[in-house]
Amino acid sequence: MTNHWIDIQHADVILCIGSNPAENHPISFKYVEKAMDAGGKLISVDPRYTRTSSKADTYAQLRPGTDIAFIGGMINYILQNDLIHRDYVVNYTNASFLISDAYAFNDGIFSGYDAETFHYENDSWAYQLGKDGLPLRDNTLQHPASVYQLLKNHYRRYTPEKVCEITGTAIQDYMEVTRTFCATGRPDRVATIMYAMGTTQHTYGTQNVRSYAMLQLLLGNIGMAGGGINALRGEANVQGSTDYAILYHILPGYLKSPTFDNVSLAAYNEKWTPKTSDPRSANWWANTPKYMASLLKAYWGDAATAENSFCYDYLPKRSGNYSFLKLMERLQQGGFEGLVCMGTNPIVGGPDASAIAKGLDKLQWMVAADLWETETSVFWKRPGVDPKTIDTEVFLLPAASSVEKEGSISNSGRWAQWRYKAVEPPGDAESDAFIVDGLIKNLKALYAEGGTFPAPIVDLDWNYGDGHEPDIAMVARECNGQFTRDTEIKGKLYKKGEQVPSFAFLQDDGATTSGNWLYCGSYTEAGNMMQRRGQEDPTGMGSYHNWSWCWPVNRRVLYNRASVDLNGRPWNPKKPVIAWNALTRKWEGDVPDGGWAPMSEDGSKHPFIMIAEGHGRLFAAGLADGPMPEHYEPMESPVANSMTGQQCNPAVAIPGNIDNSGRYPYIGTTYRVSEHWQAGAMTRNLPWLVELVPEMFVEISEELAKWKGIANGEMVTISSPRGAIEAKALITARIKPLRVGGKMIEQVGLPWHFGFNGLATGGSANVLTTAVGCANTSIPEYKAFLCNLEKGGIKA
Amino acid sequence: MTAARRIATEVKSYHGFIKFLIALVTVGAVASLLRFIFGLGATTNLNDTYPWGLWISFDVVTAVPLAAGAFTLGAIVHCFHIKKLEPLVRPAIVTGFLGYSLVSIGLLLDLGQPQRGWHVFRYWNVHSPMFEVSMCVMAYTTVLFLEFLSPVAERFGWHLPLRVLRWLEMPLVVAAAAISTLHQSTLGTFFLIAVDKLHNLWYNPLLPLLFWVSAICSGMSIIILEASACHKWMGQPNEGVLLRTLAKILPWTLGLYIALRVFSLVALSDGPFFDRPGLTISFALEMGIGFILPFFMFAQKSVRDDDRRRSIAAGLVIFGLVLNRFNVSMFGMMDPDKIYYPSLIESLVTIGIIAGHVLFFVLIARYFPIFEHHPETVDYTIPDPLRKVGGASPSLSSAD
Amino acid sequence: MSTLDTTKNHAFLIDMTKCTGCRGCQVACKQWNQLEAEKTVFFSGEGYQNPPAMSEYTYTRIKFRDYQKNGQNEFAFYKEMCMHCNDPACASVCPVGAFKKTAEGPVVYDDKRCIGCRFCMIACPFGVPKYEWSKGLPLVKKCTGCHDRVREGMKPACATACPTAITYGPRAAMIQAAERRLARYPDRYIHKVYGKEEAGGTSVIYLTSLPFDELGFKKVTMRALPSFTWQALRLVPGIFLTVGGGLSALSWINHRRDRIKALREADETGTETAEPKEEQQ
Repeated sequence: MTNHWIDIQHADVILCIGSNPAENHPISFKYVEKAMDAGGKLISVDPRYTRTSSKADTYAQLRPGTDIAFIGGMINYILQNDLIHRDYVVNYTNASFLISDAYAFNDGIFSGYDAETFHYENDSWAYQLGKDGLPLRDNTLQHPASVYQLLKNHYRRYTPEKVCEITGTAIQDYMEVTRTFCATGRPDRVATIMYAMGTTQHTYGTQNVRSYAMLQLLLGNIGMAGGGINALRGEANVQGSTDYAILYHILPGYLKSPTFDNVSLAAYNEKWTPKTSDPRSANWWANTPKYMASLLKAYWGDAATAENSFCYDYLPKRSGNYSFLKLMERLQQGGFEGLVCMGTNPIVGGPDASAIAKGLDKLQWMVAADLWETETSVFWKRPGVDPKTIDTEVFLLPAASSVEKEGSISNSGRWAQWRYKAVEPPGDAESDAFIVDGLIKNLKALYAEGGTFPAPIVDLDWNYGDGHEPDIAMVARECNGQFTRDTEIKGKLYKKGEQVPSFAFLQDDGATTSGNWLYCGSYTEAGNMMQRRGQEDPTGMGSYHNWSWCWPVNRRVLYNRASVDLNGRPWNPKKPVIAWNALTRKWEGDVPDGGWAPMSEDGSKHPFIMIAEGHGRLFAAGLADGPMPEHYEPMESPVANSMTGQQCNPAVAIPGNIDNSGRYPYIGTTYRVSEHWQAGAMTRNLPWLVELVPEMFVEISEELAKWKGIANGEMVTISSPRGAIEAKALITARIKPLRVGGKMIEQVGLPWHFGFNGLATGGSANVLTTAVGCANTSIPEYKAFLCNLEKGGIKA
Repeated sequence: MTAARRIATEVKSYHGFIKFLIALVTVGAVASLLRFIFGLGATTNLNDTYPWGLWISFDVVTAVPLAAGAFTLGAIVHCFHIKKLEPLVRPAIVTGFLGYSLVSIGLLLDLGQPQRGWHVFRYWNVHSPMFEVSMCVMAYTTVLFLEFLSPVAERFGWHLPLRVLRWLEMPLVVAAAAISTLHQSTLGTFFLIAVDKLHNLWYNPLLPLLFWVSAICSGMSIIILEASACHKWMGQPNEGVLLRTLAKILPWTLGLYIALRVFSLVALSDGPFFDRPGLTISFALEMGIGFILPFFMFAQKSVRDDDRRRSIAAGLVIFGLVLNRFNVSMFGMMDPDKIYYPSLIESLVTIGIIAGHVLFFVLIARYFPIFEHHPETVDYTIPDPLRKVGGASPSLSSAD
Repeated sequence: MSTLDTTKNHAFLIDMTKCTGCRGCQVACKQWNQLEAEKTVFFSGEGYQNPPAMSEYTYTRIKFRDYQKNGQNEFAFYKEMCMHCNDPACASVCPVGAFKKTAEGPVVYDDKRCIGCRFCMIACPFGVPKYEWSKGLPLVKKCTGCHDRVREGMKPACATACPTAITYGPRAAMIQAAERRLARYPDRYIHKVYGKEEAGGTSVIYLTSLPFDELGFKKVTMRALPSFTWQALRLVPGIFLTVGGGLSALSWINHRRDRIKALREADETGTETAEPKEEQQ
């Protein structure tokens, strides 16, 4: 999130699109309701009428996968009716920047496309640079090559009629949403967007999010209290997990993971450190070498020296896409000897789940660490399979739950809240730290006796005490980082071993370590900041700066320098995030996103400090599938793309096992319910939760039920080109067919929590989904596929 | 002969109908045992929607007014001094005593924790109609027991207890009538609390009064039926003359009941009344056949004087009473989407209880001087220790 | 965690417009009271509601409504639970006084006294008390109002778990808060505070945006239910004395008349005994 949970209460308009917070983040809904009590309006845009919709002022039905059309229409509305926050847009975004004349967009394809490789070269998307190396600008926003005009031209096609033809939304609902949301371009009105997997789990998921960012930048809502774009993370600590780079393409703190052609640390730094000629751009990623060096020092300790580039050569270099989708692909090709599943259940949670199951059969060994016997950990017992035909050796390591171990959990608002160990884990269950510690120590011992390239393991700096399991406080201290030697910075001496106060103090010469630069400041000499539970809120804005610690440097609202005008006065004095005190020459309120003076003074910096050019990108050249979001259809779609001739995302290879012939006439989508959790092991084994939602079900419209002669509660079979499952039909008026391009198209919705193991069992919805993912992130397109539905269960 | 052999021979000599009753009672006893072994939930069709079923509706709410003959007749004979009805008193008392004893058994079976039944003595809630009914029923059963002891004492020749009982007779009769008035009416008070549950056809603030009046009607009707049955099947004399007199009272009580009912519906109840067809029919049957028709019948001398038609009319009143009690305690609170019907065990127990009543009445009549009481042999004088009224009094006859 | 003032009668304010039907309250109640999970299937009503009814294992339950009205979707929720009436019907009808309205607000049940007559189940207009049909020596089961928590200054389990809809505090304050909400957001609510006067006033009050009967609320009298039986029961002593006294008087009069008549007859026939026989009793 750019903002945080409590901040939502300040919004005048809350748009829940691709998310269902009342359902899946019910505690957060407290703040949505506070906003509504203060006069705020809640808008729910969703294929179904959900628990969130039941509380919303406005509900608009949306066909799965058509977010870009929906938002594009809103962008068009803003631009046509000049509803932008002009000062904000001109000064803080790249709206005024001029784009290369080579840039073009034709019938769904941007310039630079290679159809053979599904790949874009983005040279033509670059800014026109002046002699000073800075982008050329037109602050009147009139220049035809200006981002603003390109935007206007691009989204001119997204008229309300066209949009509704694509999304299936009733036009009066669409206009109500648009008018309400787009009225927040005024400085004293602010809107927030709450989004989640409904947004991201598409082949253009990243562009979906981009469209929200653009909307908010045009309206001047980023950096404002009650504004921002706010991802509702899908798990308690998935924020922590991405912060700590449990994703193939990053290192902790969202540093890029090195690729095979980053042959040295210097080459790596050269490639990945952004550069700018703009003295007013903070370009915070210019600190990459410092963070990288500190990270490497944390990994290899004393073995990492300036001479050996801090053991950069020990880091694995990747040569492609190692995303979950690719892993599962390789798994099915028999490409893995073994697989370690820590708290993951791919046979239920992964797309095209039956194929994943067949892939698991090919493993020689598997280690599963989990609280329960997940379906993945007993994959050989799945229905329809003879265990005798499977040779995999499986180890199940019972793991401790979050209340049975100490550590931090980072919420969607980036607040890392420390948790204590409340109870001992049952039986032989151990914490993940114990498990990983055991693995590493044993590997170290084995590699010390020899092996292929033992150094990276043997030289690992691994010292977390002598207790039964690693001392989590020591881990936290290391993630924060320490000084490796006495260092003087700005006249102050920091002794060897001292905690680094913040990432501003990290060095590129090996003087510091830091396991995660973002968390530098979380554990200082004063102690564990994440443990704090101060309930003071002197600003009254719900910041609670003394309650735990958030990254970066305890800044609650990101990009908050955009919440003030050029003189440092809040755009909305009633809801200030920061304000410049001209007397003390200090910022008051939240931790400012850079302590420099306001932009009207010398030495100031642009608000968007993580971007090389310092300005929010309405036009973003750095993405795999285009600088501006464009509507494409999902890989499986019942209709042709009526916006352009390009049916699907051109940057995504078309998968094999799809069927757009019409044999599968209904749109399928997946989602979650309050009562169950992810792949279900944690909830389908708890009697009190099983009591609430005991069986797998599929939500179908009253019209479809009537057509097929299905009664409520009757067993039906849902099938797709990937497989079939059975489920009980829940007939409800909350899911309705969509009017798309003049046709009525039915949609069905399935929760994906069920599997064959546990107290409550049922068909896995992911048997139906397609293993194709986002052009940028590879997140699978779980939210839109085609299926068929027939009365009656699967005959055994 | 051993006692067992004597009993066996005796039983073998019973009429087939009696043996049948013994069988029914035995089956009922077995069913009761099952209820205790397996619990209420497993043996009855009671559930959270229907916590009260056949046992409350019949064994308590219906059986109590059916046993109302005892106090009614006692008051008529001893307070209102219609002495010629004296022969009917003892059988009525036996009916009453048996009836109330079986009510107590039925109640104990229905209670979830019958072993805690004594708690009503320890923990009092005077606001509770059920507390009042429990206390009254226990007191009245004691009264009935004491009244029943008279024929027992006579049978076994216990003279001192007999004298004590004779001395207690008046106070007991008055107590019986007062206590019965209380609990007969409070059975109606029970349902005053079901203000949003009991259908408008039956719910009104006069329920207690209506229950008391209908109990009096049914008490007298039971006596008519029971005396006729004793004549027909037990060889007792035809008390038709007495029954005629008793029947004269009925049109008044039935008329009062109908008037109160109409008044309560018209002036004291809110509609809608006829929104449930099933209940409308039940109401029509109850009022029409159970009260209005017998009212007209008993109003005619020809009916009152004719043994057969008099019995039919009495039977209709009983039908009306039973249906009324079921309407108030069960049908009028029934959810049409989820109806209750008694389970096999519930039914067997209730049948066993009814059979037990008839069986023990017959046996008591066989072995105790129930029917040998006649007015001319009874000394009605109140013992007069203060000798306020002087003069001789007829000598006391001893029944031996 | 705020501590409650245990000298005051507390009430729940449940604003159904804020409820998302997440059923955290249902599970919190089960957890606090260590109640068994029932074996359930889909579907027991509209939406995802389960179990099908409150029972000996389920003291509170969210009922779902999922329907259309005037072309608009309605997806609404109603938390059914014991209403903790100020003058409870259950307490008034229980022959052994097993129910008690405590000073802190909850109506509590003393399972040591209960004889199992189940009159409370008939009496409760909200259909709250449930019975342990599964047991051989069954007891009544219902929401305890978390009296054990409230006594210690804590809030009930459901109120603590609920992030949005349930507020708990002194009854007067809760009613005031409810009325303030009605005044402040007149378009949001049906203008009625359910529980303010129902059954004479309860300690669970509700606000809704949909008509109460559509949500499944029962229409209940505005009078305290015990007053219905008390208006008859309070006459008991009087009736006893009237009937008893009346009949006593009547029989005394009649017996006296008989005795006088007998004396007169004795006079006429000439046979008399001067002394009354001693042995007659």
